[in-house]
Amino acid sequence: MSVPLGYYLVLGAVLFAIGLCGALTRRNAIAVLMSIEIMFNAAVLNFVVFWYYLHNGALTGQVFALFAIAVAAAESAVGLALVIAVYRHYKRVDVDEMRSLKG
Amino acid sequence: MNAIFLTLSAVTVLGAVLAVSLRNLVHCLLALVLFFLGIAGHFFLMRADFLGAVQILIYIGAVAVLILFAIMLTRNIAGTEGARRALGGAWWLGVGVSAALAGLMIAMTRRSELASKMPYGATEEGVVKDIGKLLVTDWVVPLEIMAVLLTAALIGAVVVALEETKKR
Repeated sequence: MSVPLGYYLVLGAVLFAIGLCGALTRRNAIAVLMSIEIMFNAAVLNFVVFWYYLHNGALTGQVFALFAIAVAAAESAVGLALVIAVYRHYKRVDVDEMRSLKG
Repeated sequence: MNAIFLTLSAVTVLGAVLAVSLRNLVHCLLALVLFFLGIAGHFFLMRADFLGAVQILIYIGAVAVLILFAIMLTRNIAGTEGARRALGGAWWLGVGVSAALAGLMIAMTRRSELASKMPYGATEEGVVKDIGKLLVTDWVVPLEIMAVLLTAALIGAVVVALEETKKR
């Protein structure tokens, strides 16, 4: 009928790795933020998967995933505001160019 | 159910891969929306209807539009940067690290005894009502803290993105 838990865990691991790959390799800061959103979503997917497979009639797992989504939304708002501030300062948003603090 | 899971997973992974690999940022955003839809589909498949609706409302409705505005505000609308590279210098290192991490995590799930577990069983009806009750009884303090956090993030985003006109 439905798939075992391991399938979903592999899916979450693959999605997280794709997001990490994007966050490490992309140069545009907005693309890096999008990759971080992918990683967030992979983690939230895992929360919901563990709730679905291991809950004992409780809904706490869904509430936890809800809080995680809210924190991710706050993060993306602040992150994009930071990108805009950086753009105003440097006139570009490449993460390679932000090296003012480099020793 | 199995075919639905495989189709949804394929769509989700395809969206994620396109979102991190396409050059045009607007195309990346569209692929990201596909990815968000795939995740929402997984939530619906796991009978977390409320979370699926929240996923669509927050991610596709708010975050995607926010990213679109950031793309519009920070670069030319065409999105391409001409001959400039989209990837950093040591991109192969990032790909290698994430591939190694994926292999490690998949190997760990293979060894876990949880991996063969099947779903606990269908939940009863009226789940949204129960989540609402939980949020205002057991989890009311985290809920209020979340409200404060969102307010702080809102004010912080406005302050950070505000133009620096006073200094000149």
